[in-house]
Amino acid sequence: MTSLKRPDTPLQALDLGKAFLTDAGEELDIIRSVSFTLERGEIVSLVGPSGCGKTTLLNLLCRLIEPSQGTVLWNGRESDGVPAGVGYMLQKDLLLPWRSAIQNVMLGLQVKGGTRAAHRARAKELLDQLGLGGFADHYPSTLSGGMRQRVALARTLAPEPEVLLFDEPFSALDFQTKILIERDTLRLVREMQRSLLLITHDVEEAVSLSDRVIVLSRRPSTIVSEHRIELPGDRSNLIALRESTGFAHYVRQIWTELDVQ
Amino acid sequence: MSDRSGPSLTFNSADPRASIHQATMQDRRTAAILARRRRRMQILLCQILCFVVLIGLWQWQTATGHVSAFLYGSPSGIFAALIATIRDGSVWTDLTATALETLAGFALGNIIGTTLGLSLWYSRFISQVLQPFILALGSIPIIALAPITIIWFGTGFASKVAMSTLSVVVVSIIIAYKGAMGVDPDQINLMLSLRASRQKIFRLIVIPASMTDIFAGLKLTVGFALVGAIVGEFMSSTNGLGHEIFKAGSLYAISAVFAELVVTVILALVLSSIVTRVERWLLPWRHDLS
Repeated sequence: MTSLKRPDTPLQALDLGKAFLTDAGEELDIIRSVSFTLERGEIVSLVGPSGCGKTTLLNLLCRLIEPSQGTVLWNGRESDGVPAGVGYMLQKDLLLPWRSAIQNVMLGLQVKGGTRAAHRARAKELLDQLGLGGFADHYPSTLSGGMRQRVALARTLAPEPEVLLFDEPFSALDFQTKILIERDTLRLVREMQRSLLLITHDVEEAVSLSDRVIVLSRRPSTIVSEHRIELPGDRSNLIALRESTGFAHYVRQIWTELDVQ
Repeated sequence: MSDRSGPSLTFNSADPRASIHQATMQDRRTAAILARRRRRMQILLCQILCFVVLIGLWQWQTATGHVSAFLYGSPSGIFAALIATIRDGSVWTDLTATALETLAGFALGNIIGTTLGLSLWYSRFISQVLQPFILALGSIPIIALAPITIIWFGTGFASKVAMSTLSVVVVSIIIAYKGAMGVDPDQINLMLSLRASRQKIFRLIVIPASMTDIFAGLKLTVGFALVGAIVGEFMSSTNGLGHEIFKAGSLYAISAVFAELVVTVILALVLSSIVTRVERWLLPWRHDLS
């Protein structure tokens, strides 16, 4: 197990573990000795069976909860509290119903500080890029699920976080909507040269979007295997990609390792 | 990334879907508005019918002498009493007195209650320490405090405001606190991931998220404030709707009691409709929900 601190690596998890104390006073192991890295500009997926503590892992990484064991390094350093430059996105869009779409996108910028006009310009730009330019002043309650999640994506990207931590952000969407938003996410993440850690239970999503896929076991979660995804052709064409032979091979391989019963 | 050279083509694919979405939403909205309007008319019609039948029955029974107009009053008697108080102008002074007491108590009680309730969000420890005290205070029947408020605040305007405030404040604390604690923890995590300070989370999330509950509390407590003011007037007063009701009751002027009650009901309806209007104005995003 390497304990080398690498300042050029945005995110390193070293021997990370988490146990909770149950009401009965027993220690419940959720995550046991997980180590991996996320390199600059890389997209890495963590896949695992449901209930394997993926969300706990994500909260550990951004220091919303303390690990019982191991360390998390952000650019080679241990962060004191929540690290800077994290974009956090969940399955729930978490849009504020009292704010219009554009005001929701401005939320993260507002926390960081700066002028309102600059925030608005940046938010408008992102909404335009995600095909929601005409809906800037709509309240979330008037938007469809896919549109809402696009607004959430814009909100996540607006403060230009260095590392994106996504926890099943597309799993509540129908297939077509999902493919479209995945494609836009891929494009924006690559364009902005961000690093993305995607937590998902959707193997096909993981293979189609990632440079690497890490497979987690059931609870207590450990790393089962790691796959570097090398597929020929246009990686942005997610439908064509799903039909390639290499794709099916990766998916089948990961499925067998997932240990779902 | 050379393979992403055609972004304009890929972006536009979202636009036609968006405009279709907008068009169907427009149609659906007009249809919904028409249906809702028709339903509202039906409800109103039934309400008027109920009222007319009830009043008619009452008038008929008292006019024929089956029911004593002296003990139960009569619609015509109530109407005459109402006209009389309007003619001599006393209804306006009583109405103003009670309205002012109610509004002052309502405002004071809600400002204190909401501020306290929301600020309890800051410390779970303090809120848990205070919980039994708040519940104890809430379980006291407000009328039992009337003698003390007269001793402390006198027999004038201040003691009515105190009664009204007391009727409002505990409910207001509990509702605001529930609202603040009801904020989605994932929402808080999102703010924490943005490294937002606790104060920023409070201002940007907790306060606006509690507004729905706070306004529900306002609608509820506007009635409590009125009750507090009237109870205060019952104890000792020289004017006000409660004063008139009490006086007329002691004189067996039942129709006059009902006449003042009608005025009280109108006051309550006006006050609560003001709160609803303010809510619509302040929380425009809730328009289609009400």
